[in-house]
Amino acid sequence: MKKRILFFFSLAMLCLPVLAQDKLKIKFGDITEKDLTPKAYAIDSSAEAVILADIGTSEIIGNNKGWFSLRFKRFRRIHILNKNAFDVANVSIEYYKDMEDEEKLDKLKAVTYNLENGKVVETKLDIKNNVFTDKVSKTGGYKKFTLPNVKEGSIIEYEYTIESDFLQYLRPWVFQGNYPRLWSEYNLALPDFLGYVFLTQGYRKYDINQRKQRTEIYRVVDSRGTGSSEFYNLTSGVSDYHWVMNNVAALKEENFTTSIDNHIAKIEFQLSELREPLRPQKIMGTWPSLTERFLKNEMFGLQLGKENNWLKDDVKPLIEGVATAKEKAKRIFNYVRDNFTCTDHSDLYMGQNMRSLMKAKNGTVAEINLLLTAMLRYADIQADPVILSTRTNGYSYAIYPIRSQYNYVICRVMFGEEKYFLDASEPRMGFGKLPISCYNGHARVINSEAVAEELVADDNPEKKSTMAFLSVNEKGNIIGSITQTPGYYQSYSIRNLIKEKGKEKFAEEISKIIGSDYKVSNVRIDSLNAYEELLGIYYDFDLENEAEDIIYFNPMLGEAQKENPFKAAERLYPVEMPYTMDETFTLQMEVPTGYEVDELPQSMVVKLNEQGEGVFEYRVSKSGNNISFRTKVKIDRAFFMPEEYEMLREFFNLIVSKQAEQIVFKKKK
Amino acid sequence: MSLKQFIFYIFLLFASTPVWAGDGEYAVFRIPAELLKNANAVKRIETISFEVVNTGEAILKKKYAITVLNEKGDGQAIFVAYYDKQHEIKNIEGALFDAFGKELKRLKNKQIIDVTGNDDASLIDDNRRKFHGFFYKVYPYTVEYEVEEKYNGTLFFPVWVPRDDELLSVEQSKLIVKAPLSYIVRAKEFNFLGKKEELVEKSTKSILWEVKNIPALQTEFAMPSWLDFNTAVMLGPSNFEVEKYEGNMKDWNEFAKFINILKQGRDVLPANIKQTVHDLVDPIADKREKIIKLYQYLQKNTRYISIQLGIGGWQPFDANYVATKAYGDCKALTNYMYSLLKEAGISSCYTLVNAGKRARKVVPDFPAQQFNHVILCVPLQNDTMWLECTNQTLPAGYLGDFTCDRYALAINETGGKLVRTPYYGVKENLQVRNVTAVLDSEADLFVKSKATYGGLQQDQYHDLINSMSKDKVKEALHEELDFATYDIARFNYKENKSTLPFIEEELDILVRRYATITGKRLFIVPNVLTRTYRKLPTDSARKFDMDLTFAYKDVDTVEITLPEGYTAESMPQEVAITGKFGNFKCAVKLNGNKLYYYRSLEHFSGRFPAASYPELVQFYEKIYKADRSKVVLVKNETTKGF
Repeated sequence: MKKRILFFFSLAMLCLPVLAQDKLKIKFGDITEKDLTPKAYAIDSSAEAVILADIGTSEIIGNNKGWFSLRFKRFRRIHILNKNAFDVANVSIEYYKDMEDEEKLDKLKAVTYNLENGKVVETKLDIKNNVFTDKVSKTGGYKKFTLPNVKEGSIIEYEYTIESDFLQYLRPWVFQGNYPRLWSEYNLALPDFLGYVFLTQGYRKYDINQRKQRTEIYRVVDSRGTGSSEFYNLTSGVSDYHWVMNNVAALKEENFTTSIDNHIAKIEFQLSELREPLRPQKIMGTWPSLTERFLKNEMFGLQLGKENNWLKDDVKPLIEGVATAKEKAKRIFNYVRDNFTCTDHSDLYMGQNMRSLMKAKNGTVAEINLLLTAMLRYADIQADPVILSTRTNGYSYAIYPIRSQYNYVICRVMFGEEKYFLDASEPRMGFGKLPISCYNGHARVINSEAVAEELVADDNPEKKSTMAFLSVNEKGNIIGSITQTPGYYQSYSIRNLIKEKGKEKFAEEISKIIGSDYKVSNVRIDSLNAYEELLGIYYDFDLENEAEDIIYFNPMLGEAQKENPFKAAERLYPVEMPYTMDETFTLQMEVPTGYEVDELPQSMVVKLNEQGEGVFEYRVSKSGNNISFRTKVKIDRAFFMPEEYEMLREFFNLIVSKQAEQIVFKKKK
Repeated sequence: MSLKQFIFYIFLLFASTPVWAGDGEYAVFRIPAELLKNANAVKRIETISFEVVNTGEAILKKKYAITVLNEKGDGQAIFVAYYDKQHEIKNIEGALFDAFGKELKRLKNKQIIDVTGNDDASLIDDNRRKFHGFFYKVYPYTVEYEVEEKYNGTLFFPVWVPRDDELLSVEQSKLIVKAPLSYIVRAKEFNFLGKKEELVEKSTKSILWEVKNIPALQTEFAMPSWLDFNTAVMLGPSNFEVEKYEGNMKDWNEFAKFINILKQGRDVLPANIKQTVHDLVDPIADKREKIIKLYQYLQKNTRYISIQLGIGGWQPFDANYVATKAYGDCKALTNYMYSLLKEAGISSCYTLVNAGKRARKVVPDFPAQQFNHVILCVPLQNDTMWLECTNQTLPAGYLGDFTCDRYALAINETGGKLVRTPYYGVKENLQVRNVTAVLDSEADLFVKSKATYGGLQQDQYHDLINSMSKDKVKEALHEELDFATYDIARFNYKENKSTLPFIEEELDILVRRYATITGKRLFIVPNVLTRTYRKLPTDSARKFDMDLTFAYKDVDTVEITLPEGYTAESMPQEVAITGKFGNFKCAVKLNGNKLYYYRSLEHFSGRFPAASYPELVQFYEKIYKADRSKVVLVKNETTKGF
């Protein structure tokens, strides 16, 4: 994981050779028959639409409120080749607002071009009646429109400007997406008095990466007062950044991915500081300064720092007479987990104070885990909140303290050197366990030391073992029993299944797995309510053999890997599995009475790669009247690069075919 | 007795002691025991009162309380109300009670979340949604909500379904409808056995329906429609108004007249399109061919964009709008197609339908706005042609399972009537597959499959090849087939776009290690590509009739060339089943190194009595097993005796 993040950063620093053409000669409305003729493009002959040009420009301007605004311009030209891409003609433009300000969409122009009888025919969007506002929430929504007269073969063009008073929302730029792009360009004119951090990611290099210096005079007007307006002129150095990628292939989401957003080529910006001649101010500070702000925030840390004596009635009964700190922590954790409902699994702050949270018994993940932290501290346990970004929310950067990258709060407790991460927002998650979505790399402890933590799937082994014993009863039937310990996350999902659908449903699932030839009985489950433990699953079964001459018997008893999880023929970006894998299956059996072994599968051991980061074992042997069988699949890594995909796919292919093999018993003559 | 039931019995025991005498009306011990069975939640009280103020205005007041017994019932405690221009939410109140009926909390207005109801299906509409939840977790608990809504239009009247979900029981629920004496409220009862009262006052008349103690039920596979076995009352207007348009709902003809008024004068095409119509159809003599030509013109020149604002939810954008913008919703596009046909001298009917694969069935004897979609019906001399105008790829005259086999309201110039859309059965939904395959000594199988999919069986392939590029089709095929590891070497689809369409498919697949070869044996499943997945639980006693809607037939022949030198050790028995649910047959034989397999499955549709459920389970079970049975071959021992 560490290696990968460094890799992302190295890209931002590379200086690349400049193309001959550094600006695209393109003008709105400049469409000829020749532009409309292509039915396909070399970049991707099956593309349903091709983005011919996508050009954005952001600049800072002086406004009339005595400060600065952002002006973002965008121009797009798209060739729609197939009706399946008609959705690109439906445009949604996000806007932000708060109590005072709202971003303004301006200078919108949109035109569709079609070739009719060899001539270019234009159809303009009638802006007045056909731009709709979808007010999603108090913090913004979307401006929406669709282009008229769109057909297969149409070229559409649109451009617009957004003026924004939110300097923190300097528009990011995405160079890659569902459709291939011939030219994707972003220009940013940044005055020296504003500092932004640039965050670049993806596997694609810039084709042009330029920066030029110049000077500009910014005019700021303040007309908010009662008197006449005041003017300021501010001369500043300006950096003109110019980033271009051309011929960018499409990228689409595949299985075993944290989020496609982690892989597309894009650049984002974070306001980090105000500089001279403005009054210098650090906006993005250091990690210690950010955590300090969290700690002082009334909606985060402030309530944690207090005595919180009001917690007495709730905490005291939980820990009374409990000897160790760890046991106390468990009691408190269990109480919070079992009595509070999580209403939102993506949140960073408290929306209510802790006392009303305690009464309401419901809150967001941030609220619940901050309350947990407060209760633990009240019991004198060393507990700190930890912020992180979940897998679907994208990676977070350990080196930059960017608050907006985080969407989740958990709690870290320490008993001396012993460390546990807690999440009380998931109903059946055990003490010291986290949902898979939390394993997304960097996480940050919010205390005065502001320690970084790494939560990686590689450290998350999912270990499963199954033992089967088979014998023959007096009637000559094969009977047996199974003892199984699923891995933690499988245990977790079985607990959820049983809670939601009942134990009968789970017994049904077992019958389905082992197959209808077997009659399953005495299903028993241990540790069902001991949420930090693995489940113990036990059941008996019997097989009524109808005195056949030959018995074909698969020793995996339905537990075989039946499908290759890597079905797609190729892979364009890394495989990110939720955990590492370690599954063992053993079987001891008697040869059925009156039969002899006619054929045993051959034993084999195969390594995943030369480093031995994974292994598949299949061992079967016979001694006297007993057969011993053992198979194991172990993979020590959760993250694989695209070039390792074929290796993974072959590995599973082998497992599937080997585990399908059968033992053959023949009636003795 | 489950643990949960046990806890309730404890409640009941304690309930009789005087300690609890002061408990509130929602105290859990007051729930009759039979309502706790199978229930995750109990509707304690519900009063829906609907008052028609005048033809254009009505007030809905609803108050209900639900006791949530366990985690699975939490969804019942969430309050949701939808609103738009015609339905205003005046007031929402709510409260939370503990198991003893003690009030814990009241809803504060700022806690109500108000969000857009706009989904991805529409570019824009004016639906919005308010919701609220207490998200309590100490079971059992009770929530009570009260909402008042003002209807600024009277096209929709409420439907009362006291038990509106599975695993929910109802202690008491009532519906009261009140209207001026001069106003006729129409009502239709379903399975109603409760109390009914009418009350006439000076200027108004009220009707009250009330039910008590309805136990919870569990849904089953292939349930009949909800209204077939649940108590319900549908209400409907007589005279009504929607944004100044007036109508009457006393019969389907009257409702059709109203729809007609909404679309009146909206069929005027611009001159250039009129000319196009004539250029396209005048050279053609056959009426059917003319329709196909114009339908293809529509498909090529328009796309579906949904804009539903105000009366636009009911009234189509006019033909000129579609002609200039080249898009529209189902109403606009259907009206446009209607206008194109009209220009060609062909009359057609704008037809309302309730679309969706498993959509609620339209109640034919109760005229009401029960529809969500519009299609076009073109009557011909001997038959009828149906056109789905929002789809750019469907064959002319074919409706998929989105709108087939159901009632629809066809609007003509003077009114309209209910008609049935086409039904596709066993004969139409036919799949024929022919596989020739070669197994090599590595157990890899090289498959060449030729298949024809007809009727509803072609729908998914139609979507596949029309909604994706060739590369994507290949990727999709890579996800779909039931093999562990395989590669699609070649594929080809040919569509036959007729009123009864079919698709021809050719697939070349390399299936890695399809068979299992051990030291001397070879195991192979001869059914390569047509295996069923259906399995039904056997244990429960079936309560409801079964409604099987999809009839079809699959016929397969397979020829597999095996490596030389094997003889049969175990061959699956021939299976032949005939019964009320369908017929199944499969057989396999070995001839030299060629394995031959034949399979035929006819699956019928219809309504079947609950008592025949075990037979259905058996039917599926036997097919499931037969589809996976293996042929076992053993290697000939070549050198022997020396």
